[in-house]
Amino acid sequence: MARIPPIRMGLSRRDFLKICTIATATMGLPVEMVDKVAAAVKSSERPPVIWLHFMECTGCTESLLRSSHPPLARLILELISLEYHETLMAGAGEQAEEALKEALKKYKGRYICVVEGAVSTKDGGIYCQIGGRPAIEILRTVGEKAGAVIAIGTCASFGGIQAAAPNPTGAVKVSQVLSRPVINIPGCPPNPYNFLSTVLYTLTFGHPPELDDLSRPKFAYGRRIHDQCPRRPHFDEGRFVESFGDPAHQQGYCLYKVGCKGPVTYSNCPVQRFCDVGAWPIGSGHPCIGCTEPSFWDRMSPFYEHLPKIYIPAGGGIRVEAEKAGRVAVGAAAAVVAAHATIGAAKKVLKSISGKEKDQEE
Amino acid sequence: MVKKDKEILYRRVFVWSWALRLFHWSFALSCAVLLLTGIYIHSPPFTTKWAEFKPQYLMATLRYYHFAAAYVFMAAVAVRLYLLFFGNRYERFTDFLPINRRNIRSLWQSLKFYLYLTDEHEWRMGHTVLAGTIYFLLFMAAIVMSLTGLYMLYPDVSWISKMGVALFGSLQMARFIHYILHWCFIFFVIVHLYIAIWNDFKAPEAIISGAFSGSKFLPAEVEED
Ligand code: HEM
Ligand code: HEM
Ligand code: SF4
Ligand code: SF4
Repeated sequence: MARIPPIRMGLSRRDFLKICTIATATMGLPVEMVDKVAAAVKSSERPPVIWLHFMECTGCTESLLRSSHPPLARLILELISLEYHETLMAGAGEQAEEALKEALKKYKGRYICVVEGAVSTKDGGIYCQIGGRPAIEILRTVGEKAGAVIAIGTCASFGGIQAAAPNPTGAVKVSQVLSRPVINIPGCPPNPYNFLSTVLYTLTFGHPPELDDLSRPKFAYGRRIHDQCPRRPHFDEGRFVESFGDPAHQQGYCLYKVGCKGPVTYSNCPVQRFCDVGAWPIGSGHPCIGCTEPSFWDRMSPFYEHLPKIYIPAGGGIRVEAEKAGRVAVGAAAAVVAAHATIGAAKKVLKSISGKEKDQEE
Repeated sequence: MVKKDKEILYRRVFVWSWALRLFHWSFALSCAVLLLTGIYIHSPPFTTKWAEFKPQYLMATLRYYHFAAAYVFMAAVAVRLYLLFFGNRYERFTDFLPINRRNIRSLWQSLKFYLYLTDEHEWRMGHTVLAGTIYFLLFMAAIVMSLTGLYMLYPDVSWISKMGVALFGSLQMARFIHYILHWCFIFFVIVHLYIAIWNDFKAPEAIISGAFSGSKFLPAEVEED
């Protein structure tokens, strides 16, 4: 193995290699590649990063900072040269805006633009402003001149909760504002390793990883939860949790019937897991809510039901659930069939009676 | 209606090719299997938790039947789409969609007949236009079922997921559409079986046996316009 200095970037060598190994495994690369990835981190000039915060909860940044075994955040922060990040930077106000302007000039066309949060478009985007400028304007200036744009979190990737109906601020995803390719790292919050691995992949190979049709890196979002889930044998057996806390739940059966969205969600959560201790929702007995998918607040909810309720507005403000409407329609079909048959039979009887009367009259 | 006491002559006319009959019965049987297994997949009403000691693979087996039937279903739909354009005269879409004056007249006639407003049976060699329009809508629904189904079945085959994202946006939407449209098939089966039987009572064309033999019976003096 190539010699790596014992302490680099304030990380122990052990932690440094650990992170590189996890990141390499996340990319789906063989263990021999760990050296290459580590070497790329060592040798590459720290890429300048401008990190924009728009309409969001900062959960993405938080989840990245909170990882401590190994201290992933430190690697990320040392790996990149963070030129602007409202949550982390020391400066504020005018000073911060100055830093942004500087960085834009100095690193034009070379910096990575990371966006966290959705962008308001309604009424000229006035519902999210920083330093008196609408977010949409900031994104346009920063995004168009960047070397690469990464949308971190579901808000930036797909609009997230801001864009959920009725979407009062006209929130949209980053790729809808920019006319250039954007790499999406969705999740609410996304796994920090998926972000790190994307950056490391680009540093190691000089080009971004292969993306799926929703611009998500395939190494992380190429497979469904359902196809990697440890509860899958229970699914195939037909053993399901009926309600939370029931004996089936205590047995660790499949969460399909309490609304698990694993069958329709692409992510590596079952393998990558969270919080330094290998925890993840389904492992803890909670169904997947599909947070890496487009429009998940609208279409994956109710979270404890299998399918979304889409309301069909009927006259006079009555709302009919599409699912119930199906049941009603089929019931009505059966009723109409029965009525139709009865009328037909009755008509026949009437006719034969009147026919007989006619015969008698003749 | 045809008077019982009067003797009339019927002639046997051949309308449904073997390909159409093959389509009909493979479509009908696969639909039945798809509906029964699909309803289980949607909300499994029974489980095998009493038998943890012995593998049952209940869900896996029923899904397997769903997919096996799905292939029969898709093959049948492909045959029917071919026949819509290249089948015999009665199998082509031009014979039974309300796209010309003759067919629109037929549509009115059948509506009146089914509402018991007239006893005058319409003698047609092929489908009535009312039936034909419904069949056509069902074929369209069948195509959507196949596309959403394929997307759910092969979620990580690249050209299929490309198609899926382009048409439905996400797997969850595909699953939702697949589920909503399954009601159409239940609806169709109820009405279709009833109407086939009802017509068998009301008119002596022997349409049910026609679905097997390909021939119908029309009064000798009737000429189709
Ligand atoms: C025992 C059950 C069934 C019988 C006796 C039956 C009978 C018939 C008959 C007599 C026709 C021709 C009607 C006409 O001239 O308009 C027909 C057509 C048709 N049936 Fe059925 N049917 C059965 C089950 C089903 C099922 C379960 C389905 C599918 C859900 C189905 C789908 C169709 C379709 C799509 C057509 C149109 C044929 C075409 O032109 O492609 N049938 N059926
Ligand atoms: C008349 C035709 C069909 C009917 C009535 C039908 C019905 C259903 C229903 C009710 C479900 C459950 C949906 C849910 O709530 O999750 C389902 C699931 C599914 N169907 Fe179909 N289906 C039909 C055709 C097809 C076809 C042609 C395919 C294609 C290849 C297909 C593939 C699937 C798949 C992959 C699933 C998901 C299974 C899972 O979640 O494990 N279906 N179907
Ligand atoms: S994606 Fe989720 S965690 Fe990230 S900013 Fe949006 S709401 Fe917060
Ligand atoms: S818990 Fe969810 S992801 Fe896991 S097997 Fe069941 S339905 Fe699939």
